Amino acid sequence: MDRRSIQNFDWVFVLLIAVLLTFGLINLMSAAAAGVEGGTSNVVRRHMMVIGLAIFVMGLTTSVDYRHAERFAPVIFVGSLFLLGLTLVVGVVTRGAQAWLFSGGSIQPSEFAKVALVVMLARYFHRNPPSTIRQLRQLIVPLMIAALPIGLILLQRDMGVALLTLLVALTYLPLLSIPLRAWAGIAVLAAAGLAALWSFGLKVYQQQRILDFLDPGRDPLSSGYQAMQSRIAVGSGGLLGAGWQEGTQTQLRFLPTQHTDFVFSVLAEEWGFVGSTVVLAFFFALLLWGLWIAQSSKDGFGAMLAVGLVGTLFWPATINIAMVLGLAPVIGVPLPLFSYGGSALMSAAIALGLLLNVSMRRYVF
Amino acid sequence: MIGKVAAESRLPGADEAPSELRIGLIALIMLAAFAIFVVRLFQLQIVEGADLASRSERNSIRTLRLEAPRGDIVDREGRLLATTRPAFRVRVIPSEVRSSERAYRVLGELLDRDGDELAEKVGVPVGRRRFQPVALETDLSYLQLARVESHRYALPGVVTDMTPRRHYEGERTAAHLLGTIGEIDAEELARDAVPSYRAGDVVGKSGLEHRHEAHLRGKLGGRNIVVDVAGQEIEVIDEVDPVPGGRIVLTIDLDLQRVAEEAFRAEEFSLRGALVAIDPRNGEVLAMVSEPAYDPNLFPGGVGSETWNDLVSDESRPLRNRAISGQYPPGSTYKAVVAVAGIAEGILDPEEKVFCPGEYRLGRRTYRCWKRGGHGEVNLDQAVLGSCDVYFYKLGVELGVDKIGEYARKFGFGSPTGIDFQGEMPGLVPSREWKERARGERWLKGETVSASIGQGFNLATPIQLAQAFATFANGGTVYRPHVIKSIESWDGSAKRYPERSASLSAGIDPDVIRRVRQSLIATVQDPDGTGARARVEGVLVAGKTGTSQVVGLEQIKGLEDEDIPIRYRDHALFVGFAPAEAPEIALAVVVEHAGKGGGAAAAPIAQKVLAKYFEKHPVEGSPVLTASRRGGIDTGHGAETIAPGEAAP
Repeated sequence: MDRRSIQNFDWVFVLLIAVLLTFGLINLMSAAAAGVEGGTSNVVRRHMMVIGLAIFVMGLTTSVDYRHAERFAPVIFVGSLFLLGLTLVVGVVTRGAQAWLFSGGSIQPSEFAKVALVVMLARYFHRNPPSTIRQLRQLIVPLMIAALPIGLILLQRDMGVALLTLLVALTYLPLLSIPLRAWAGIAVLAAAGLAALWSFGLKVYQQQRILDFLDPGRDPLSSGYQAMQSRIAVGSGGLLGAGWQEGTQTQLRFLPTQHTDFVFSVLAEEWGFVGSTVVLAFFFALLLWGLWIAQSSKDGFGAMLAVGLVGTLFWPATINIAMVLGLAPVIGVPLPLFSYGGSALMSAAIALGLLLNVSMRRYVF
Repeated sequence: MIGKVAAESRLPGADEAPSELRIGLIALIMLAAFAIFVVRLFQLQIVEGADLASRSERNSIRTLRLEAPRGDIVDREGRLLATTRPAFRVRVIPSEVRSSERAYRVLGELLDRDGDELAEKVGVPVGRRRFQPVALETDLSYLQLARVESHRYALPGVVTDMTPRRHYEGERTAAHLLGTIGEIDAEELARDAVPSYRAGDVVGKSGLEHRHEAHLRGKLGGRNIVVDVAGQEIEVIDEVDPVPGGRIVLTIDLDLQRVAEEAFRAEEFSLRGALVAIDPRNGEVLAMVSEPAYDPNLFPGGVGSETWNDLVSDESRPLRNRAISGQYPPGSTYKAVVAVAGIAEGILDPEEKVFCPGEYRLGRRTYRCWKRGGHGEVNLDQAVLGSCDVYFYKLGVELGVDKIGEYARKFGFGSPTGIDFQGEMPGLVPSREWKERARGERWLKGETVSASIGQGFNLATPIQLAQAFATFANGGTVYRPHVIKSIESWDGSAKRYPERSASLSAGIDPDVIRRVRQSLIATVQDPDGTGARARVEGVLVAGKTGTSQVVGLEQIKGLEDEDIPIRYRDHALFVGFAPAEAPEIALAVVVEHAGKGGGAAAAPIAQKVLAKYFEKHPVEGSPVLTASRRGGIDTGHGAETIAPGEAAP
């Protein structure tokens, strides 16, 4: 790391990360206090260890010039595909999806595949700048790149993450110079794809979740239960919230998977409208700062990488919060920096580390 | 700012960097998403906040009813007859059971029950009933409780709690007196005399449990609790303690009650019948037995329909309280009443001798004395102690049925005693007017002959017999029998004596009663007396035996005693009191279909109860001498029949 990079160290970005991680930890301590699978103190202790590890990984990712990643992109990408393939062979099935490697350590390769896909696409768009892409057929190669990990994740029966990975890839769409009528074509294709997905890709319980989302009162005690309880938790937070570790929905465990997928409900119940809005603001600030990093990068690869990495943070956060607020079906996607879970936090750490990396080296050229 | 930096820092080779506009588009999409979130948060938390918060409360707050333990019923010395003990139950809240098939299988193993059966019991309730607990087992053993408790975390929706449960100390002791409890039925619920009852509540169904339901029940308490998603109690918000049910102190003496019950059960096969013992000084019932009895512990927690059917269809009718509902011809015990009527009406001179040839002719019919060959010349004492029928046939015919009835009613026959109990029968004292009214027939003179020895139409309940002889014992006061000494609050802070000694005078000259009492003493104390088997060492016992015919003699003519079918066999009666000079206990014993006379079948039961009583309350002074001397003094005219030294064999 040269002197100039250290001089340009992005303290604002690091501060935003630190604030969000702190909020996340405080909130998780409350969510876990009610007693969760694995034991309250175990969960909190493990989460703190993972945060420590994440900071280390972030530092590591920052220290090596990100431009090496362009050279190694195919290796990284193929490596991630290999891990995804490995999960299919020796993976552990949890909650209906065969997405985890090793039962004890539970590493979820699809979390890392998102980042690897972004690295690969950044390399592609560096060589074929999106502003030069004017026709749909020019998208065939990047689509094929994206289709590889998405296909493997679909084979794991992990719908949520597959959709998420697709959305991450679609982050690049606004950068393209494709005319309006081509977008119409994409819309038709997307609709057809969704219909096909519904009939062939979705399991009955997944279809149920979507139906529950469209009509939450349908069966409040079975599959709509989670969504209903989450909305009750969020709503009962009111303006200022019930207070830390005071939310009854949380502390009496009416909330399902409250320390992982529904961790934002805990925040909303206990910190109310004010607390939730503040956290949303910090999240938005973090993402916006990421876009600014992309904008200010003098290097095409760095800019493309930064845009994609913002996507890997934005989409899971959006899907997760939309689900918690009853705006989207229940999809098992964790909230970055808030949810308990090693792989998600680690992949976020890599993404944030790379963003920091790009930010630091914006004057290198 | 973004644009400025980008514009300034554009370097050669970096011209592929995305334009500001395009990146701004992405920022706009993100802004839109976060704006939607803030709006949605505002909608849920501010606009719908109060509504959703109350739903959150409903989620977690439950109101429990705290059942009050039912009040104790104790005997006169404070010994428990009925009490309340803790019972542990296990219940299932259907809405909270997860992976029900496994849950019921595990529960089945823990409770040693069939899992499918449990699942069936809970069923698949809909609507609000999903949230209402279904009891699977209401009285867990400690082992079962420990098993369920230790697996509770693996069984969401399964809850255990403690409830008060009625327990009767004696197996069948005083069963009819105590009565039964059971789940409230629709009819009782509809009556809503007490509004706080709910389906599934336990109420008294018979006996004291029924009569004093309001007092025994106590007052419900309530508790608002916070529960978690599995229905487990997390925290108590507020609580109103239940007020335990009040105590009822009976006049019953458990020792006498037990001795009396055992006397019926001690025989080779259990006897059927009833016994009532009364304190003649105030009408307190000391013992009330009806045999056969049932085990009242069958009822708490719900009597099974099979058990219930068995009890109802049992030919021996164990549920019936014979002491107040059984109506029997009083037989020769009635002669004491007829004797009082004779003396009081000036028709009978007790010392005048009447010849008994063994039969009595009236018109064309002949009425036999029970003693073939007759009693010979007998005065009143001899007629009573030998239970001479002819003597009383003559007296009865001279008095007429209406005069006999008049005196019988003074002793309390023919109408309920007023003991505060459901199901008391009035008995029957016949008269001319009654027969015209009830049967539309004229009274026949021959029927007066039967009436004068307590046969024919006459019917009396054991409690009436005991009350009547208590009146003989106390010299002419009719006390209303009662079983309740006091009604108290659970902690004894408030006491009531609702039934203290309601009495009225029989309206009979006490001298007349005293005179007949001598004959009753002779009946027990004379070596030839029919009631000799009721004698108690050291105590002067008075009494009268009776044998009441169940069917006409023609039906069993020529049969040896043992060949007579049980249902045709005579009832045996004994009624008496002691100590004769200052009576403390009067009692009536009826043994159904004994096949033996009252002296042989009923007197021994009375003897056991009296012996127990005087073991607890010894007569002062040297028992034998006292008895003899007092007997000699008191009996006066009858002194010659009670030879000192023979008084207590």
